[in-house]
Amino acid sequence: MTATATALGDGVLDELRGILGGDEYVLPDLPARVNRTRVPAPFPVHRWGEFLPDVAVLPRTTEQVSEVVKLANRHGIPIVPRAGGTGLADGAVPLRGGIVVDVKLMNRILDIDLVDRTVTVQTGINMLTLNRELKAHGVIYPDDPASYPCSIVGGRIGTSGWSLIGGRYGHTRDLVISMELVLPTGEVIEVGDGGGRKVRKSSTGFQLKHLFMGHQGTLGIATEATLELVPRPEVEFAAFFAFSDYGTAWEATGALAKSGLATLAGVVLFDEWKLAYLRRDDEAYIPQPPTVRAVIASAMYGARDEVEPASRRLMRIAKETGGKYLGDEISQGDWASRHDRYATPLHGRLKDGQVVPMCWHCEDASIPYSQLPAVREKWHAIAKRYIDRYGIFDDWGMFAYTNAAYKPWGDYLTEIDIGIWEQELDEESWRGWVQCKREIAEVALEHGGSITACHGATRAGDVELVPQEMGGGFEVMKKIKAALDPNNVMNPGKYLLDQAYEGENGREAVR
Amino acid sequence: MIGFTLRAQRPPEPRRVNDDVVERFEHVLEVAPEKMTEHVQQQDIPAWDTHRIVGGRWDHLDWMHDHWADSVLSTGIEPEIAELGEPMPSEERS
Ligand SMILES: Cc1cc2nc3c(=O)[nH]c(=O)nc-3n(C[C@H](O)[C@H](O)[C@H](O)COP(=O)(O)OP(=O)(O)OC[C@H]3O[C@@H](n4cnc5c(N)ncnc54)[C@H](O)[C@@H]3O)c2cc1C
Repeated sequence: MTATATALGDGVLDELRGILGGDEYVLPDLPARVNRTRVPAPFPVHRWGEFLPDVAVLPRTTEQVSEVVKLANRHGIPIVPRAGGTGLADGAVPLRGGIVVDVKLMNRILDIDLVDRTVTVQTGINMLTLNRELKAHGVIYPDDPASYPCSIVGGRIGTSGWSLIGGRYGHTRDLVISMELVLPTGEVIEVGDGGGRKVRKSSTGFQLKHLFMGHQGTLGIATEATLELVPRPEVEFAAFFAFSDYGTAWEATGALAKSGLATLAGVVLFDEWKLAYLRRDDEAYIPQPPTVRAVIASAMYGARDEVEPASRRLMRIAKETGGKYLGDEISQGDWASRHDRYATPLHGRLKDGQVVPMCWHCEDASIPYSQLPAVREKWHAIAKRYIDRYGIFDDWGMFAYTNAAYKPWGDYLTEIDIGIWEQELDEESWRGWVQCKREIAEVALEHGGSITACHGATRAGDVELVPQEMGGGFEVMKKIKAALDPNNVMNPGKYLLDQAYEGENGREAVR
Repeated sequence: MIGFTLRAQRPPEPRRVNDDVVERFEHVLEVAPEKMTEHVQQQDIPAWDTHRIVGGRWDHLDWMHDHWADSVLSTGIEPEIAELGEPMPSEERS
């Protein structure tokens, strides 16, 4: 039942060239495949070859994607969708070789509708490129991950991503109104809240849009999406505040987040480990004296008439709760750098302070506000144990970021960033790393949280805990997978969904 | 070529900011040279190149502001951090 092909014959490559209309869209050469193997998350570089795809293809139309998927079913070849390749849960990493469907050439804007306030695109477009076009129309598509310049609409759908300004404008699942997608068997369907490509709220049938969000390419390939348009903000306001201790800053974060100010897009709480990292290595250096042990960042967007008075209220709340303003230059400069954190994961320190090149692990749990202080203690303690033992990791600190859509209170995207000296990894230290990751994720579940707010839980160290987090929902996931993907061709091996094809449960699901 | 340019525009001696960081130009922070000796070597960078890199970063940030909103609202309030007291002992970094 499971597709296991690892090397494709000339016949398959010729079929692919026929479907895609030329050699230049079918890339079996090694560099093209090596470049589409990993993502920026920590990777077992000593085993790179295990994750190589057999070929990458670059479709330009929905029909081509559909034909490629049908071919994969005919031959039992795995298919892995890949957009920007920035996903930090390894979703775009092929586990069984096969065909990588790279959607980047599907990057056309199909329709800008300023009356019904939507834009319809092919899913290979990047948000920055899209918004450059939309600027002339006085509107934006406000999906703003910290990978904004390089992640792509298809990957945002594949991960059900989280946006920096989601507290004001919502996250990817709120901003994608409907989509066209190719199912794992090759049929093309449209899904939204109900029917109607531009309808934002419907009660007809099952809410299928959510099913096809965040499945990490295991349930098909989104080829077109109709997206929300909002008025381009007249003003942006960013304010950063310093605190001498974490507890006071945590209280202040809660006060700001529940202020009820509608233009508030996000509140972020950095802890003292993050401050130490910002002082020594981050390109967005915040040169604060050692007395500063926590910082809150906040940002607002909207019409000037709303943001101006709201900003005064925000400044007042921060002052009353103990915050010291860091000034306009740091607030504005650092906020602008938050849209683009690709520069972050470059180097870290060994215990003796020496610089080494490091890649970046970003834990991204959703944690209830009340649990943040306890989770913070436990996460740093876990990181310290593994740093002491292996000597190739570095604790880059934590932040907690308002997580809910439209109303920034309740739970927080909670990150611990850990640097990893990847070139030094061997199997033992890699396993040690995965165990560290798993312990961190377990703490999130112990405290009533979720493993992931943004990236998905498809990596080793997360995925083993998905049945625990999802409970009975995981059984439903398996039934859906087996029903929609009878040959297990769509991103096989992810989310433990091979279990859908095993034993009694699998047979029932397939039937 | 680099050597020639470096002689022509040798950066000033660094001012130490803390154990890990030095500063040669205002607001331009660098890893302290002795912390980049074993695994990654620090490169000599002529002053003009540092200015070019830093200028490029500011251009990028200005572009980002302009990309997201018509204007940026300032408070005009001076930084207040000097008012902070000593850190609480429980907050010491382990
Ligand atoms: C510096 C940095 C900062 C980041 N900050 C954030 C952040 O703030 N918020 C956040 O949410 N994430 C963040 N991320 C993670 C990442 O950018 C997001 O997960 C993003 O949504 C991935 O998009 P991508 O285009 O790179 O997708 P990829 O990594 O290529 O793919 C992601 C998943 O989607 C699947 N997929 C790709 N295309 C399609 C398609 N057309 N249809 C169905 N499935 C598809 C893939 O198979 C894979 O499982 C960050 C990453 C980096 C490197």
